[in-house]
Amino acid sequence: MAEGPIVSFRQVGKTYPNGTVALTDASFDIRRGSIHAICGENGAGKSTLMKILFGLESPSAGQVFIDGAAADTATPDFAGKHGIGMVHQHFSLVPILTVTENIILGHEPRSSIFIDRTKARRQVVELSERFDLAVDPDARTDTLSVAAQQKVEILKALSRDTRLLILDEPTAVLSPPEIEELFNRLRDLRAAGMTILFISHKLHEVRALAETVTVLRAGKVVGTTPLAEVDDAEITRMVMGRDVDVPRRQRQTTSAPVVLELAKVSTRSHDPADRIEDISLSIRADEIVGIAGVDGSGQRGLVSVLSGLMHPASGSIRLSGADMSRAAAPAWRKAGLAYLPADRYAQGGTASLSLADNAIAGTDGDKALQWGPFLRRGAIRQRVQQMIADYAVRAGGTGERLDSLSGGNAQKLIAARELAGSPKLLIADQPTRGVDVAAAALLHGRIDQAARNGAAVLLITADLDELLRLADRVLVLFNGRIVADLANHAGLTPAALGPYMLGLEKAS
Amino acid sequence: MIEFFQAIADPAVVATVLRVMTPLLLAALGVLISDRAGVLNIGMEGIMLSGALIGVLVSAATANPFLGLFAALIGGGMLGALMALFINGLGTQFIITGIALNMAALAATTLGLFLATGDKGMSGALQSGVLPNIDIPLLGGIPVLGPLLSGHHMLTYVAILAVPTVAIMLARTPFGLHIRAVGSDPKAAAAAGVSRNRVQFHALTLSGVFGGAAGAYLSMGYVSWFAQNMTAGRGFIALAAEVMGMGTAWGTFAAAAVLGIAETVAITMQTKGLPNELMQMIPYIVPAVMLTVYAARRQAKARSNS
Amino acid sequence: MTRSILAGLTEFALTALVIVLVILAVLVPVALSQPDPFEVLRLFVLGPFGTIRHMGNILEAATPAMMTGLAATIIFRAGMFNLGVEGSFFLGGLAAAATAVLLPLTGFVATPAAILVGALVGSLACIVPGYLRVRFGASEMVNSLVLNFAFLFAGVYFLNYVLRDPNAGALMSYKLPADFTLDRLLQGTRLHTGVIIAFVACILGGIWLYGTRSGLNVRIVGSSPGFASHLGLASSKLLMQAQVAGGLIAGMAGAIEVLGLYSRFSWTALPGLGWTGITVAILARENPFLVIPAALFLAYLQVGGDMLARNLDVPSEIVGLVTAAILLAVTAAAIFRHPAFLRLIRDIKGQERGA
Repeated sequence: MAEGPIVSFRQVGKTYPNGTVALTDASFDIRRGSIHAICGENGAGKSTLMKILFGLESPSAGQVFIDGAAADTATPDFAGKHGIGMVHQHFSLVPILTVTENIILGHEPRSSIFIDRTKARRQVVELSERFDLAVDPDARTDTLSVAAQQKVEILKALSRDTRLLILDEPTAVLSPPEIEELFNRLRDLRAAGMTILFISHKLHEVRALAETVTVLRAGKVVGTTPLAEVDDAEITRMVMGRDVDVPRRQRQTTSAPVVLELAKVSTRSHDPADRIEDISLSIRADEIVGIAGVDGSGQRGLVSVLSGLMHPASGSIRLSGADMSRAAAPAWRKAGLAYLPADRYAQGGTASLSLADNAIAGTDGDKALQWGPFLRRGAIRQRVQQMIADYAVRAGGTGERLDSLSGGNAQKLIAARELAGSPKLLIADQPTRGVDVAAAALLHGRIDQAARNGAAVLLITADLDELLRLADRVLVLFNGRIVADLANHAGLTPAALGPYMLGLEKAS
Repeated sequence: MIEFFQAIADPAVVATVLRVMTPLLLAALGVLISDRAGVLNIGMEGIMLSGALIGVLVSAATANPFLGLFAALIGGGMLGALMALFINGLGTQFIITGIALNMAALAATTLGLFLATGDKGMSGALQSGVLPNIDIPLLGGIPVLGPLLSGHHMLTYVAILAVPTVAIMLARTPFGLHIRAVGSDPKAAAAAGVSRNRVQFHALTLSGVFGGAAGAYLSMGYVSWFAQNMTAGRGFIALAAEVMGMGTAWGTFAAAAVLGIAETVAITMQTKGLPNELMQMIPYIVPAVMLTVYAARRQAKARSNS
Repeated sequence: MTRSILAGLTEFALTALVIVLVILAVLVPVALSQPDPFEVLRLFVLGPFGTIRHMGNILEAATPAMMTGLAATIIFRAGMFNLGVEGSFFLGGLAAAATAVLLPLTGFVATPAAILVGALVGSLACIVPGYLRVRFGASEMVNSLVLNFAFLFAGVYFLNYVLRDPNAGALMSYKLPADFTLDRLLQGTRLHTGVIIAFVACILGGIWLYGTRSGLNVRIVGSSPGFASHLGLASSKLLMQAQVAGGLIAGMAGAIEVLGLYSRFSWTALPGLGWTGITVAILARENPFLVIPAALFLAYLQVGGDMLARNLDVPSEIVGLVTAAILLAVTAAAIFRHPAFLRLIRDIKGQERGA
């Protein structure tokens, strides 16, 4: 067996056909038999790197060396040939199959034409004992807890002579004792000679488990360093980047009436993204409250209870004094909610219909646009052209399909629709994700304008620059709870938010 | 009530139930295999119709009904394979592919019949064979049970034996495992190296073979002729039977049996003087009712869970 | 704007090219089996335009295809795969005949009354599976497939026991009174005023779908249920509206077909025109205005096939094969969603935006 690093990335870059640059010039080594952590914000290039290493995508520049030899990436048998196993954040287990069936799928032991079930079961039991990962080989996978499913996923990854195991955000779905157990198993694996690549947002976990960390930011490797040689502040700075200050929003008044008020709101859900616990917050008119937090910390649950898609299990929600805890989606809209959903095409609009259709959807009963049941084509065209002009939507005409627009232009049109009239409450969920700089600036201006016109604004964003630019107050969500409530003053930087978002600190 | 049970145990009634159930069961098992692989075979009606004609033509040409059956199986399998090529090769939707196959089969079988006989309605002019019934030597001798179990059509035995075979195939063989994996979660299956296209190709081919057998039974089971559109929606009833069977071979068997009994009741009632047409509705209404009741129960269960 | 039109034309050109290739692929082998292959192609392609009478035949065949195509379009637009159009067409024809035979109506109210009854009764075959889906979540596709046959036999029962003329020999209804017929438009053809109704219906259908609030809302529910719930639209109600509208139109289509073409009602099997409608709807990309040319095109193929059957020894069923092949070809993602083709369309449109 060769000495030296098990994997070396050399000047690896990846540019997608649509022009997105996901990775540039990435170079680092993974030491044999170590636990190596990869850190970085959403969109920093972690998953692209993993896809290349797992053979799902080929790099557009550079080389990957495995055991010192240049490897031919993105071939179907790449992972199998090199003994690389991967545990995805979203499990790739077939829900209706048993644990054994899932583990042997694709390489079943046979006796004549049948699956050798005794042998298959024995393999699973042996594997489970060898790596001390207890699972019931005969249970149907969808009846298992998430933690147990993860064990199955790990066993599946280990079932094919694996020497390098990739785990993508493995703790996101686990409770603390389950995390502790997982870490013990991973340490055992390392002791048995396995190399582990551990991708995580959470700094204390990285520190607890790994010996080396590579930090990615905006598609570039910021650094690879032994954890013993850096402190948390240093890593946070590497992850979050420069402490450049941004211009901030000025409120006209801080004494406007409270519009939205949540008192001890909790939801029940299996999915951590939908789970919030004991959330109390209030937003005044002309106030923008920003929510920071790594993906899946409960943002989706918060938005769902504030738009009528989900009802809280406990707690109360009031909008301008009226109880909205049990209100459904139409009631929320009637009460003055405007909502820019994170998923533009599944919720914010309908891809296959025209810009005009998308722009006037939901304006039922608007006498200016309707004459009895009929739509006034002329008035609609005028209104939509006005919207297109106001929001600088670059489009061929009002009759084009929504999905013919770029992401930024589609989002501008959706914002034009949602912000028409004067909303009382605006929820902006990732309003500028995947949007070009000019469009983002315009959207920021409109969100600010909506607040000035008296709306209470809840801004949920993974883009911390955007958060600091717009928000008057920043709440940090972690595991469904608010762990920090910070006034946004000139001194607040991404680096200062980092420890809360990564779960290192908690402000009361 | 007692009269009813006596009627049910009557060997003649049992024979009728099995007779009308056989094509439904064969076709429904074919639909089952396709459905489990994630490509519900809407084209079953057309495959059955094609199988029926191919069987008669080959049987007439070779004077051998077994060769006719064999040709129907091959033809059905090829049509299933063709569907898979369209769905995964050309990217057509499986529902539209099935509808197109049904339309094409209705036209092509009429055309084929015309070319072979000069008649568009019936194949009476062709000397086609009939597949035999089978007397099981020892079983037939047992009192009471003997006449119930022995003497049925060979394809009836095939259909009934196919139930455990398909069940075991799905549960115990690598192919069955791959079918279930692809049908349930093609992405997860792909991550484990199981190709959706390959599995669906094999599943639809096998589904077509079952459809070919069901079609051959219609034209060579008890009669020796083919008539235009002689399936009359049996492929669709098979579709309903499979949905009622909740995706298992034994469930499909039970559903096909219920539908066979319903059709037998319809036939019996006709002989008792009840209006023929109303009785003919039964085999089509029963699946709709059962399907709806099943869906309503599932919905209620989902509500109480959340 | 001109570039959008150019892009649309490019898409149309590709569709036309694919259809021509498909027709040739089916027809050429048949033609080669005949003594004069060119005569086969000539008859099929040019024959339907040969005389006014043949062009009248095209319109006649397009009448039911337009209406069932419109019905299927509306149902599909709501995102439902309800195949009840076939049953609705049958029931509509039966109910119109029943009205004519049983009700003592005369004069100018007679025909409209029969069409109305046909539409109402016919709509059942679409409403029932649609309701079972919306209310209980039962597959509308499977239910409509089997219930079509249930409605068929219920109808045949009604024909046999209520409408049957015992002196007619075969199983058929009493003669429909003369007041219950649609006027002929063209000597020598069976073309009747129903064709006007069909044209008007498609145009009204288009206006409803694209020009009214409820049409817009149906399109939203059908194309993106998630967006509909974001807007708080009453999805179930809209879905049912579309099933009712589709069913009424399909029932009306059957009524018009019977009153326009036949002196007695004699359907004892499903006439298959519902399936034609589904093909028309898919060919028209589910646009009521395009239903008109799509139906005319399929009718043209039908007349071409009939001419082959009448003049040469080629059965008209060849048209069924051609239609099925076209249905597959125009929905093939490998052709119309091919990256190269999408890029071409984007380039044509994109230059406009850059300019």
